[in-house]
Amino acid sequence: MTATLHVLRAELFKAFRKRRFYVLAGLYWLLLPAVTLITATVLDRNLTASFANQQGAVAQALQGFASPFGLARLALMGPALMSPTAYIIAVALFAGLFVGEERSQHMWKTTLAVQPARLAVLAGKLLAGMALLGLLLAGGLLAATAAGAAGTLFLPTAFGGPWGQIAGLFALQWLHLLAALTLAYLLVFLVRSGTLGIILVIFLPALLEGLYTILNTLAQLQPLTRFNALFQALRLKQAWAALPHYFFTANLYAPARHPLGSFLQSTGTSQNAAPGPIGNLLGQGLTLTHALAVMAGYFLVFGAWLAWAMLRRDVE
Amino acid sequence: MRTLGIDPAAAASPSAAAALTEEPLTSAISATALTKRYGRTKAVDNVSFEIRPGEIVGFLGPNGAGKTTTLRMLAGLVRPSGGTCAVLGGIVPGPGLRQVGTMIEEPSFYPYLTGRGNLRHAAILHGGVPEARIDEVLSFVRMEQAADKKVRAYSQGMRQRLALARALLWRPQVLLLDEPTNGLDPAGIAEVRESLRDVAGEGVTVLVSSHILPEIERLVERILAIDRGSLRYDGPLQGLLGAADTQSVSYEIEATDGEALRTALVRLGLEPAPRGAHGAVVSVSRDEAAGLLARLSSDGVEVLEARRDAATLEEAYLRLVGAEGRPT
Repeated sequence: MTATLHVLRAELFKAFRKRRFYVLAGLYWLLLPAVTLITATVLDRNLTASFANQQGAVAQALQGFASPFGLARLALMGPALMSPTAYIIAVALFAGLFVGEERSQHMWKTTLAVQPARLAVLAGKLLAGMALLGLLLAGGLLAATAAGAAGTLFLPTAFGGPWGQIAGLFALQWLHLLAALTLAYLLVFLVRSGTLGIILVIFLPALLEGLYTILNTLAQLQPLTRFNALFQALRLKQAWAALPHYFFTANLYAPARHPLGSFLQSTGTSQNAAPGPIGNLLGQGLTLTHALAVMAGYFLVFGAWLAWAMLRRDVE
Repeated sequence: MRTLGIDPAAAASPSAAAALTEEPLTSAISATALTKRYGRTKAVDNVSFEIRPGEIVGFLGPNGAGKTTTLRMLAGLVRPSGGTCAVLGGIVPGPGLRQVGTMIEEPSFYPYLTGRGNLRHAAILHGGVPEARIDEVLSFVRMEQAADKKVRAYSQGMRQRLALARALLWRPQVLLLDEPTNGLDPAGIAEVRESLRDVAGEGVTVLVSSHILPEIERLVERILAIDRGSLRYDGPLQGLLGAADTQSVSYEIEATDGEALRTALVRLGLEPAPRGAHGAVVSVSRDEAAGLLARLSSDGVEVLEARRDAATLEEAYLRLVGAEGRPT
């Protein structure tokens, strides 16, 4: 345990001297609230007196995304709705820093000679990544709240909202990122290339899940294809159909995408807007408990694989 | 002498070194039938040796002989395919490695950190290293002036010295050094040699590989020579030099007439190499050496000067590994 804490401290010492952390933090903490407030101000100035503001629709929309609570919700949800998501970009960058760089700078031999407890090194690096992700998310919540509070001075917005729930979702999303971070470390470590590992982390899960969606659509369009018949014969039809509930990406972002319905409702958009064939990919119908259990499973599998690889690999 | 602040009694005392075991320590480093295979190739083949606490041992071998692989196995970086190795009485990998300082091949650092920053990172990573110790080791390797520059601006020599400083940070009881003088100029080589002597003087066990054989010769008391993965010699330096001495002696001879000198040497069945207009260098067996000058004189050669070259480690080593085993 002591060795793990030493590694954690050393990795944080290193990370706080890297520009990429401050760039990420700057983009997330400052740019997102600033752009949102500017957009809100433009809408307020131009639409409040217009026909669009029937029954106070503009004020309702502004409260939905530019109030302290609305901005906090946007800070949680926004990064999960980008493509690739800002969450996975942050995860990949930290994997590049904590694992990829050890290879690119030929530092594994030094790191493991200085701290020979390999599992402690691994655990410390995971903790460091989680600590930085936690810092980014907590900072995002605080910065968005502060920006929203400033916005109440010149926008028709107010405090109020289920703050406990949003804070809980931030915490849950942070926990979910542990599985993504472990996968990122694993891929970067296994392919022995920081760049290739990062590309795989960002695109591999989405690629596999997209492939499923294509196959599934084909099977539905042509129910008698050999592909479909094979699954029927193997009695895998139900498992195949249930697969989207265990998709990595959909479960990973379940907490961040959870408030999507309330967000759409608060901004006056219909919450019944169906996401179409990509509903599975967006995690439609997943409960938070289910998503947490799935991500815990992914973490255990990736973590065990990574620990095994870490213990066995020769450091050249 | 510069000191590292290592408590000599603690470092040299077998019982203190055996912090991990209850019994007094007889070997600081040991390898038993150590083997490493890469596919069908045996990089290290059944190598066994023991190094006592406080010894300073040179590790010689041509390129690809298995030196670095052996050092990596001792440092816990590479898993042996067979056999075992132990450091300070503890099987590798194990907690004994925390008492080992290493410099394996090209030293590596985080280029965006300063020299001091890299040392601080290593100190935190290892744990239990006070801040003042960083200044101590920087001073020991004479790097105080450059300590606050980014490592990306360092020369090869500065990187070597910083790596040595890092290896000494936590007052290790064992040092594993792979080519510590690589890339250094003569002054740098001399500095590292002095540093290592100082370290060894404080009771630290040192296993050092180097391709600069004269440097090893000036530094160590004992030699391990490895070739094609197998240990070819394990013994005192003087033993290896003595073995070379018993076979032949090299003479550099100068005469008034160089041509006559060389002709006479050929007539005696020797193979002289010309050395300037009046001289020749010749290698003779010890039996023949005693009467060589008298025989030249009786052949009418007027010898002005004859110098016997002492056997060097390089000669001894080349004899040991054969002509193809050039030192690396």
